[in-house]
Amino acid sequence: MLVDALHGVRVLDFTWVLAGPYATRVLADFGAEVIKVQSEKTSQGAEYNTSGYFNTWNRNKLSITLDLNRPEGRELALKLVGMSDVVIENYTPRVMANWNLSYEHLKQVKPDIIMLSMSGMGQEGPWRDFAAFGPTIQALSGLTYLTSFTPDKPIGLGYSYADHVAGLLAALSILAALEYRDRTGDGQYIDISEYEAMCTLLGPAIMDYTVNHNYVMPQGNRPDYASAAPYGCYPCQGDDRWCVIAVFNEEEWHALCRVLGNPPWTKEERFSHLTQRVKHANELDELLGQWTAQHSPEEIMERLQNAGIAAGVVKNARDVAQDPQLAAKNFFAEVLHPVLGKTTFDTTPIRLNSTPGRFQRAAPLLGQDNRYVYRELLGVSEHELSSYIEDGIIG
Amino acid sequence: MQREDKAALTGLRILDLADEKASFCTKLLGDLGAEVIKVERPGGDKSRAMGPFWGNTPHPEKSLSFWHNNTSKLGITLNLDSEEGQNIFRRLAQRTDVIVESFPPGYLDKLGLSYQTLSEPNPGLIVASVTAFGQSGPYREYHSCDIVAAAVGGQMYVCGAPDTPPLKPGGEQAYYLASLFGAIGILLALRQRKQSGRGQHIDVSLQEAVASALEHVMVRHYYEGIVSRRQGSRHWNNSFCLLPGKDGYILLSPFMQWETLVELLDNEGMAADLKDEKWREERYRTQNLDYIIQILERWTITHTTAELFELGQLMRLPWAPVASPAEVANSPQLNARNFFVSVAYPEDNISLTYPGAPYKFSRTPWKIQQRAPLIGEHNTWVYAQELGFSQEELDGLAARKVI
Repeated sequence: MLVDALHGVRVLDFTWVLAGPYATRVLADFGAEVIKVQSEKTSQGAEYNTSGYFNTWNRNKLSITLDLNRPEGRELALKLVGMSDVVIENYTPRVMANWNLSYEHLKQVKPDIIMLSMSGMGQEGPWRDFAAFGPTIQALSGLTYLTSFTPDKPIGLGYSYADHVAGLLAALSILAALEYRDRTGDGQYIDISEYEAMCTLLGPAIMDYTVNHNYVMPQGNRPDYASAAPYGCYPCQGDDRWCVIAVFNEEEWHALCRVLGNPPWTKEERFSHLTQRVKHANELDELLGQWTAQHSPEEIMERLQNAGIAAGVVKNARDVAQDPQLAAKNFFAEVLHPVLGKTTFDTTPIRLNSTPGRFQRAAPLLGQDNRYVYRELLGVSEHELSSYIEDGIIG
Repeated sequence: MQREDKAALTGLRILDLADEKASFCTKLLGDLGAEVIKVERPGGDKSRAMGPFWGNTPHPEKSLSFWHNNTSKLGITLNLDSEEGQNIFRRLAQRTDVIVESFPPGYLDKLGLSYQTLSEPNPGLIVASVTAFGQSGPYREYHSCDIVAAAVGGQMYVCGAPDTPPLKPGGEQAYYLASLFGAIGILLALRQRKQSGRGQHIDVSLQEAVASALEHVMVRHYYEGIVSRRQGSRHWNNSFCLLPGKDGYILLSPFMQWETLVELLDNEGMAADLKDEKWREERYRTQNLDYIIQILERWTITHTTAELFELGQLMRLPWAPVASPAEVANSPQLNARNFFVSVAYPEDNISLTYPGAPYKFSRTPWKIQQRAPLIGEHNTWVYAQELGFSQEELDGLAARKVI
């Protein structure tokens, strides 16, 4: 049997909320031993072990408790660092340094350690201590501005998308650092600014300013960079039902016209080729919308897709949960949680054919793996462990 | 070709057959030091038609999307539909670690270039396929693009205002997400290969990529039975909202540090009745959020977004102005960290400013090795130096439109 991709990689995980846990989730899914360091105090909100959020972002991980405000707690943390390959944290800058757990400290204990810090603004710069959540990053990076129908009224995404982006870039950079360490024996420090991470996913829009000095406009549901028409979101039969349709070339346009039954307006000069259709996109949307409004989005998706046109149902959470394609690929997994019972979460879009991710383990309860980590891995005696627990260092 | 030897991925060779859906995948790896050879059809890949364009003139050698997503790559042309082209590709595939492709499922199969066929002589080969809906399932042959992926992945439904249609996020995020998942998959497979000696096939779908980055949406559905809806510029749990300032919009948190917030307003005599006892109760505030926002808006409109940003951050409130790309380019924080980098275009004797590293490595710096390739720019280097074709043979291949 083949071993998991990250078999033998141990990650000491000081992250919380979403961006950090999302990064270590990827590593845990593919076989890394991720030890999440928690405490009674931090185990709240999204970090409350028996919440749906926690179960979704922290499956496949181990949990230990440790009070890092106590010198004995920090000593234990350093011992754990000594047995780890990767340390990752997403506190505000200075927190790890105040605990004497900065990279400089860590590499004295484990010279080839890979440490990654992720924060809103990065470890340096005039804004380094600024408070930032996902929405803050989205506003600053241009994503909120670009997600709108008009520059006068930004809308944005309404959820912390940037946390996912930063988490994925963190996972990628850790894998790259592991590759380098395997080759050379050297570890290193990685500084991720969620602000910069989000900006790199808006590259062409930012370059339109830095290179052309264009004042880039939000595109609404029009293509950001491609040339296509019709392209957009159209009303369908039913309450708040919508579909999207995207037509990139003449072949697809003719196929669309055939599905519509070749009504006379499709023959008009103003829609005769792509440049014309792009120019008259509003009128085109209006006419197409009159047709879509008479059909269900499912029917439109099926009929247009069968004609070779990119089209889709605008799916809400329930639709996504019941999506036939996602179901056929087992995208959502059911896992038994000791407290929550039967739970469901998304698996992964990274489908490795011979060593796929594993999704049988729910998120850990608080301190669930204290015995394994402290006794078996660290070799702390039964007596020492009891006194650590009694003193509240392991709580 | 000589690469930065201190880079994280030095020595890794990748063939990039992807269009706009996944060209960012190999840019990520190329900027980390991998040798990426972009294989385009003769005349150039269709993603060169993606705007915006340098100087605002559409041209296959001036696409900023192409430039951005294809840094640190070499470029060759090859007609995979011709038998001669397929044979050349097989030779290239034997000398490579990774192939990234975004053709419809089954296309490479038909050409005899499937993962199974190519990995026979090169068992270590890793192939990543980024497609609309993945390699299997009832929708496998369906078409997709950025907006379709945003729709079927569950992202669009929660974006937009109650009185607008669902809204697609800006910047073709589906392609970037799928590219990120693909790049992670490649490095996972690479690490697995060290133990087994074998590569594998990686199947990434745009739909799943989007559905994996929905934060609360599916969690709320599965645990609370709630179907999230779009609610304009307010965060799904109302913890943030956008309000107008004198010169633009500011992101504000109407619930955090309530007393501090009221004090900020009161200092300017604009707290109205928010100082009243009843507002100290969080439940009451939640029930009357519209009123609070009304009062806040009266205050924010008297300030510039820069003033509000500074004031909020002084109080440790996670506020921020809604920045346009121009404001991003002028950000003091990004500039202090030297985020933007200069990329040379030696043939024009110029340098252009690009967004830079998404991560700072202490030992193996991220670096744009060179600008995106011109069409067929490295044909001679790859075909002559690597595969040993003579100039005569190259001329023949060009005449037969194989390259």
